[in-house]
Amino acid sequence: MRLLKRHLLTVYAIGVFLYLFLPVALVILFGFNDVRGRFNYQWIGFTLEHWESVFFSRTFGGVQGLWDGMLTSLRLAFLSSAIGTVLGTLIALSLGRYSFRGRGATNVFLFLPMATPEVVMGSSILALFLVLGLNQGFLTLLISHIVFIISYVVLTVKARIQGFDRHLEEAAMDLYATEWETFRRVTLPLIMPGVFAAFLLGFALSFDDFIISNFNSGPRVQTLPLWIFGAAQRGIPPEANVLGTVIFVVTVVIMLLNVVWQRRQAARTRV
Amino acid sequence: MTAENGIPAVELDRVTKQFADFTAVHELTLSIGENTFFAMLGPSGCGKTTTLRMIGGFEDPTSGTIRLHGEDVTGLKPYRRAVNTVFQSYALFPHMTVEENVAFGLRRQKVDDAEIKQRVGETLELVQLSARRGAKPKQLSGGQQQRVALARALINHPRVLLLDEPLGALDLKLRKEMQIELKRIQQEVGITFIHVTHDQEEAMTMADTIAVMNQGRIERLGSPSQIYEDPRTPFVAGFLGASNLMNGTVSGNEVGLPNGSVIRLTDIQAARCNGHATVQIGVRPEKLSFFGNGDANVPVNRLTGVIADTSFQGVSTQYLVEVPGIGQVAVVEQNLGEIHAPGEEVLMAWKPEHTFVVE
Amino acid sequence: MTTATAEPELARMARRRAMVPYLLLLPGIAWLIFFFMVPILRLIGVSLQSGIYPNYEFTWEWGNYAQLWTTYRGQVWNSLRFAFTATVICLVLAYPLAYFIAFRGGKWKNFLVVMLLMPFLMPFLLRTLSWKIILADEGLVVSTLKGLGLLGPNATLLATSAAVIAGIAYNFLPFMTLPIYVSLEKLDRSLIEAAADLYATPAEAFRKVTLPLSMPGVVAGTLLTFIPAVGDYVNVLLLGSPNEFMIGNVIQSRFLNVLDYPVAAALSFTLMIAIVVLLVPYVRATGTDELVA
Repeated sequence: MRLLKRHLLTVYAIGVFLYLFLPVALVILFGFNDVRGRFNYQWIGFTLEHWESVFFSRTFGGVQGLWDGMLTSLRLAFLSSAIGTVLGTLIALSLGRYSFRGRGATNVFLFLPMATPEVVMGSSILALFLVLGLNQGFLTLLISHIVFIISYVVLTVKARIQGFDRHLEEAAMDLYATEWETFRRVTLPLIMPGVFAAFLLGFALSFDDFIISNFNSGPRVQTLPLWIFGAAQRGIPPEANVLGTVIFVVTVVIMLLNVVWQRRQAARTRV
Repeated sequence: MTAENGIPAVELDRVTKQFADFTAVHELTLSIGENTFFAMLGPSGCGKTTTLRMIGGFEDPTSGTIRLHGEDVTGLKPYRRAVNTVFQSYALFPHMTVEENVAFGLRRQKVDDAEIKQRVGETLELVQLSARRGAKPKQLSGGQQQRVALARALINHPRVLLLDEPLGALDLKLRKEMQIELKRIQQEVGITFIHVTHDQEEAMTMADTIAVMNQGRIERLGSPSQIYEDPRTPFVAGFLGASNLMNGTVSGNEVGLPNGSVIRLTDIQAARCNGHATVQIGVRPEKLSFFGNGDANVPVNRLTGVIADTSFQGVSTQYLVEVPGIGQVAVVEQNLGEIHAPGEEVLMAWKPEHTFVVE
Repeated sequence: MTTATAEPELARMARRRAMVPYLLLLPGIAWLIFFFMVPILRLIGVSLQSGIYPNYEFTWEWGNYAQLWTTYRGQVWNSLRFAFTATVICLVLAYPLAYFIAFRGGKWKNFLVVMLLMPFLMPFLLRTLSWKIILADEGLVVSTLKGLGLLGPNATLLATSAAVIAGIAYNFLPFMTLPIYVSLEKLDRSLIEAAADLYATPAEAFRKVTLPLSMPGVVAGTLLTFIPAVGDYVNVLLLGSPNEFMIGNVIQSRFLNVLDYPVAAALSFTLMIAIVVLLVPYVRATGTDELVA
């Protein structure tokens, strides 16, 4: 009876994992589909044609806008996450290191952007841009992406700051390091894995964002998600699946490397 | 009740517990009598907690049989055993009040409300916590939490109570109080307590019987005084109190030490040397005394040396005496008269009955 | 004499040091105030405007809010219905999964958490569009359901509320699973042993100890799933039809297609208020820690 129950849970968990991975597997699979017509929703036959066109053809398989969208997204994700990581890390240092009046309120305030539905955040910031007369484009995308990245960065870095031993800093000061030297030689190296993880998270959030971009991109700039959304109306070419597969594999590898690195760092600082 | 017909409260019969990469408990056979306070003592990793957890039903032995009052309970789940545990970290349910925690076991056994109410009252009285019945565990001090854990187990009238390092989290003063308290409660309720600890003093203060465990085996079993006076193995001699251990060659009732001194043994101890050319003998530091040259009644076992270090400890003073050919010998003297200074040459002596042989 | 000059010096240094945390906060918080707080508060003003694009004027136009009930009742109802159903599905899927990872994961625990997040590295729109393949009219799910007689011969799943709910539940599953996992993971295992020791069967131990102690995770997960789900509009656009439009769709189309900013602002602001009302009692009781841990 107990044996059955034990296995029931295992089977259920495997089932949920299959449910989670099924759509991903289909995206990958349909990148190999020898599609006929516009819509790539039915399996016809196997081909490597789309992979070849993504990697070897100069026109990117003749798919218009896909490559541009990809570049825009990469640029946007890199910039917004870099700026967001700097701003967020400063906040995290303040919240994690010091106790001051308004600290609790700041924590709650930082939680708000995460609790706000993206449609509200995206539309309200668009309304502001309209009033300011700021033309929608790359700049408005960048500004709005930084807004939703900051809170996640604070969270990630703060966890790292609170996780390390305060005595290490006191020891550094005891050994004649000034505040700045202590920060530079002890604090920063120790929180670096957290900062890097925050950057990756911000990058992923920005790269995959659709709703905020949908409101703030304007007619001339297109990110990859916006391109996919537009293409979905007329039929997505399998090249998008190929690109999605590449993105998936690359991010999985980065995520696993980061996990390994974090673990090694943790093992090293534990002494 | 069962004490008369001689069935032990707990019996382990060649119990082994094998984990993936090491053997925690090795072919352990043990029998614990009714209404005793039994302590399992040993360093961490010696298998004492694993043994306790097997009695409680939290681990299944790899092989062997466990019997409670003669009944085979091997493989039986914890909630089917008339055994209760006081956990190391107390494991009080944080979302329940003291009263709800204490009543938990009775509710599971479907005892009726009136009786639960009465027994909760009595048990809280026993551990002197009636005033805090509505508090949550977090609002209690460490000592109070400890009492709740005890009450929560005792209220079920278990036939055996298991205590896993129950005093480990308390400070020294509170620990001393609780030692006496636990002993009082054990005598009052009259059930078998099995107590796991790494604190030798705690074990000796409370237990009727102590099992000293090392590397998954019992090295020595007996009353506190038996074990202390005659530890039998170097491990027990070192783990329980301090000992001076010396190697020597056997000749009849005597042992010759490397420096030429001859140490006399009792007949019982000498019998244990049979068949050995060399043995290790020991003596406790407080059994040694200093004597002057003219003193009468100097015991027969004697050593001379030079004091290397003196440390004042309040009620007593500990000396380390350098004896040529043997090494440093520790002596603990009560603070009655003069204190000897380092560099002084001294004569130390002790009685044959205070000498023990270790294997 | 020396102390007379040293003291103001010390005081000034102390004051400077007290400024440090605020200086660190300044750039990031300023950014959030300008580009997050101000826009949200401005919504109030915009929501009370009236007129015709592009000439809107502030006129205390409460009618914009009334439209929520008069014009968009169906979409509000869809939002609540879909978000609620998806949240329940997430809970049913997530609790056993989180339990499995926390209690049976052993040394694979961290790996399993990584596995849980991995599907979300596939671009959001692509993985959502996959559901079109899964729920396609000739697909496995539809034919199986038809074979079992659970679906009529001419019925479809695509462009129905079922497809929208499936998409929402799928996309927000980790938001439910992670907080539950965290609360189960930090649960002291000796509490469950203690329950067993006190004659609780595994089912009773679960009901009396594990479940109540994991409730903070369940509540946090429910909020983290329900809130984004109720404001979602992408799953409808990809998997549903105009019949399934939610309040997010209305906001999006009022803002981007119709350029009816006042009504869009009124709807946005109402949604925001509804969520704050939902969150305040929770945050007051437990703080934000459980939600973001």
